[in-house]
Amino acid sequence: MLAILGGLWQWGARQLPYLLPPLSGVGSSLSGNFGYYVHNALVTLGEATAGLGMGFVGAFVLAVLTSELPLVRRAVMPVAVVLNVTPLVAVAPALVVAFGFGPMPKLIITGLICFFPILINTATGLRSVPQQVLQVYRTMDASRVELLWHVRVPNALPYLFAALRIVFPLSIIGAVVAEMSASGSTGGLGTAISVASSMNQLPVVYASILVLAVMGVLLLLAVTVVERRVLHWHDSVN
Amino acid sequence: MDGSVKVTGTPALELRSVRRVYGFGSAATTALDDVHLTVPSGRFVSLIGPSGCGKSTLLRLVAGLEQPDGGEVSVHGVTPAQACAAKLIGLVPQSPALLPWLSVLRNVTLPQKINRGAAGRRERIADFAERRTAPDMKELLVKAGLGDALDKLPAQLSGGMRQRAAIVRAFGLQPDVLVMDEPFSALDEFTRESLQDQLLDLWEELRTTVLFVTHSVSEAVRLSDTVVVMAPNPGRIVESIDVDLPRPRGERLFGERRFHEYEDLVRERLRRAWHSEAA
Repeated sequence: MLAILGGLWQWGARQLPYLLPPLSGVGSSLSGNFGYYVHNALVTLGEATAGLGMGFVGAFVLAVLTSELPLVRRAVMPVAVVLNVTPLVAVAPALVVAFGFGPMPKLIITGLICFFPILINTATGLRSVPQQVLQVYRTMDASRVELLWHVRVPNALPYLFAALRIVFPLSIIGAVVAEMSASGSTGGLGTAISVASSMNQLPVVYASILVLAVMGVLLLLAVTVVERRVLHWHDSVN
Repeated sequence: MDGSVKVTGTPALELRSVRRVYGFGSAATTALDDVHLTVPSGRFVSLIGPSGCGKSTLLRLVAGLEQPDGGEVSVHGVTPAQACAAKLIGLVPQSPALLPWLSVLRNVTLPQKINRGAAGRRERIADFAERRTAPDMKELLVKAGLGDALDKLPAQLSGGMRQRAAIVRAFGLQPDVLVMDEPFSALDEFTRESLQDQLLDLWEELRTTVLFVTHSVSEAVRLSDTVVVMAPNPGRIVESIDVDLPRPRGERLFGERRFHEYEDLVRERLRRAWHSEAA
């Protein structure tokens, strides 16, 4: 399959040199400037994971609050839904104006993009403990904290991992979009792509895209490995 | 409608003119009406009746999972909520309700980590001055035939084994009242009978008061000291029948005439309650 795609690509590159660079060009760009790509990949990865971490913490705390306090749920959920349907790509330039070209707007965009899936899934998982299980622990007069720690949070883990599978690739998208909207950023693959494309360096553009794709696959692989260990008891893993 | 049996000391359970209504206005259904029931400590009492007779409602009231709309429910002289706070009540629901991410052993030991203040509250309730040491859960599991399954996950067990683990979890609390809501209804006949055996074995040893909801006549007669017959519309107690059969009640009991006489008696009372309602 890869060979066929590669062949098609090469043929396309010969027909339309302005659309597709030859694979050899992409390869030599990658090997010739390996340090450059690694550096930018690490910048993007750092932004993506830090933003994801922020979004995760915020979403998780809010999910616990919404599942424990109906009032918070009614207050927060509409706002969260509005936030989710707003195209965050459109918010990015405004954030750059507000926070400058540093890492801050990137972290915020990535965090916001990751926020909603984690919030919704975790809240659902926390609340979907079977009635009869709750009744057993209610007759022992288990406190809310005990119920959360021993029953609700473990129950939410499969839902949380489903969200993480969505959110890890999204975090990279968030970081790249934020880099691209802040033209003049100092690093990151998004910056590399916009700079290179403005100078017609197609091999660099595609090499960066390739690195991004590999990064996404590796992240997803990491989630899967962790998921298999943590959720060894769950049907989805077996 | 009086379901009283002879009382010595504080009864384990006492219900006085208990009423429970679901819904409002014309849509309201009376799940329980004017229910009186007194259960002395250490008795095994079954509730039996057709669906809609309020037997599960009665059980939920005793377990503190619902509040009565009228009358009083007390467990060892305190409210169900106070009894739960002192961990006097053990619940075995219809499904095993085990936590799928914990091994069998950890499932049954988790209650010891929950509500640690219960021991102190238990001492303050009149009859429970003596302090109890936590039972050896491994030993209990072995006794229940789960010795090979200690480290297995619930999903790796059969339905009968899972329900046994749920029963061990409840006994492990050393509850003073064990409430069981049709715990064997989802099991096949063979498994059901062997679980009845094991339940009786554990009960002989730990002697708690049991309130057992069932719709199987033979199960009720085999297990109980008293069978409480209930009827629907409105849910009420029709009669309590004391089952005066010797214990331990092994397999041999099924062959005995007296066992079947009790079965027939309970069946006849159930039928009469059904017809009086239809009339």
